[in-house]
Amino acid sequence: MLPTRAPGVRCLIINGKTPRRSWLPVDNLDLELPSGVVAGFVGPNGAGKTTTMAMLLGLVRPTAGSGTVLGGSIAEPAAYLHRVGALIESPAFYPALSGTENLRVFATVAGHPTAAIPELLDLVGLDGRGDDRYRSYSRGMKQRLGIAATLLGDPELLILDEPANGLDPQGVQDMRSLIGRLAGTGRTVLESSHDLSELEQVCDWLVLLDTGRSLYQGPTRALLDGVVAGLAVVPEHAEDLPELRDLLVADDHQVVLQDDRLVVQDAATGIDSVAAAINRAAFASGMVLVELSPLRTTLEDRYLAMVHGTAP
Amino acid sequence: MIRMIRAQLLRLVRRRTVLLTAAGCALFSVVATLTVFSTAQASGSPSRQAGTTRAALAGAGGGTEAFAVGAAFVGFFVFVIFIALLAGEFSGGTFRAVLTRNPHRLQVILGMLIGTLLLAAVAVAVAEAGTLVASLLVAPTKDIPTADWFSAGSLVAGLRDYATVLGGVTGWAVFGATLAAVFRIVPLALGVGFAWAGPIENITVQSWATGYRVFPGQVLASLIQGGTAELAIGRAVLSTFLHTAAAAAITLVVLSRRDVTT
Repeated sequence: MLPTRAPGVRCLIINGKTPRRSWLPVDNLDLELPSGVVAGFVGPNGAGKTTTMAMLLGLVRPTAGSGTVLGGSIAEPAAYLHRVGALIESPAFYPALSGTENLRVFATVAGHPTAAIPELLDLVGLDGRGDDRYRSYSRGMKQRLGIAATLLGDPELLILDEPANGLDPQGVQDMRSLIGRLAGTGRTVLESSHDLSELEQVCDWLVLLDTGRSLYQGPTRALLDGVVAGLAVVPEHAEDLPELRDLLVADDHQVVLQDDRLVVQDAATGIDSVAAAINRAAFASGMVLVELSPLRTTLEDRYLAMVHGTAP
Repeated sequence: MIRMIRAQLLRLVRRRTVLLTAAGCALFSVVATLTVFSTAQASGSPSRQAGTTRAALAGAGGGTEAFAVGAAFVGFFVFVIFIALLAGEFSGGTFRAVLTRNPHRLQVILGMLIGTLLLAAVAVAVAEAGTLVASLLVAPTKDIPTADWFSAGSLVAGLRDYATVLGGVTGWAVFGATLAAVFRIVPLALGVGFAWAGPIENITVQSWATGYRVFPGQVLASLIQGGTAELAIGRAVLSTFLHTAAAAAITLVVLSRRDVTT
């Protein structure tokens, strides 16, 4: 699907075979992110997510290809990196310096003002800990400082490699909320994660990658809408479940009992007609249905189906 | 480049670092002065390689003689510090983090190097001044006259000693940066540095005297000592320049060609 807004990232990149490397970490990846989206970057380990991010940041050079990030050529990262905040792989800071001192050093490297540092520490939940040495931080605190560092200079594009890594449940929720707020300010965010439920909640754009190739790029809704995992059927009286199940099996449906409901698994397509037929059959047998609803497929289901080649 | 130098100074110029450096300089001044004045020979050729003579200590430049002689023994220490500092940038991921903000690799490594060398230049000056003060205190106890120490010739000798020591420190720093960039892992870079500048060079020169003129560690030692019997100061300066330029070229090629990953 073509984006409707000007691209934040638009590039065709290849990180191909070299004399020392016989595989293709990124194989003809035609990546396009509209400005202002929160894009989830999904793929199994070794799919090329971090390599792609590293190429966008100038850390790894594509063996071929071209493209732009925020309008600047990826061959000249200096043209756009001052407008990009990145947390790649794990946060890296000087252990002997405090959180505040580390942010001051990195702000100086990039020529960003340092006045916003207290506000950034507050934003990521490190207020009151800025003067503590980095080596005394927990893993979650290090991750939070890494996020604060990406926000130095008020960047237009955030590239975050598993930003919730190491955070406790509250931290994950805070991170989700923070990314949502950042996206609300018009920034473009490219976030990789293995936590697909988190991405499903946060991202309005998805890039699915496998073995260096793009499986899907586009709006999250377009990937998940119209694809159902099954049909949930609940009779008025729980004691009718066995009879209703026998009825559905007799009609050649694949049915499983989940808690206090039946799930018709072969109803992924033609769901309206299947639902109508089930409703009629149940009514004819004297049963009243209180629920007859499509089960929305999750990103995880969809992703696994695409990676394993079983997606419709 | 200026931003990188400022960032490196921000990182290094902290109370703890300043106190440690000051303590190191004070310790060096005292130890070098006491050792040099105690081991000064009554007569003989004034070769800093084997200590010095009472005549050299009493002459112009005698006030900083202990500094120059003692500095010959700390070059390797400087080498180790630069390897640890810069290889730590690679293995700790901070070099990568810096590059996501300033992608000019040449500027980044030069900024780190120059920032650290600025601090080293101050430390060398403090150590030289400290050694002069210590020498002024120790000389009367050894019956060494200090009248010539305040002549113009003494000032020139002091400046020359400062320049040669700083030149040697710069050379060690560049070699340290090269090993750091090539190996990227602190223990590995340190191991190779130790092995090369320690046993390999020093054992080889015992049977191959030309090694004094071609091995980088030997050349730098000659420079810091203001020239040796094997390598005069002029040749030492030229060789240091060539060695340092070659090491810098290797560093830049390695940095520009390699991907920066963990």
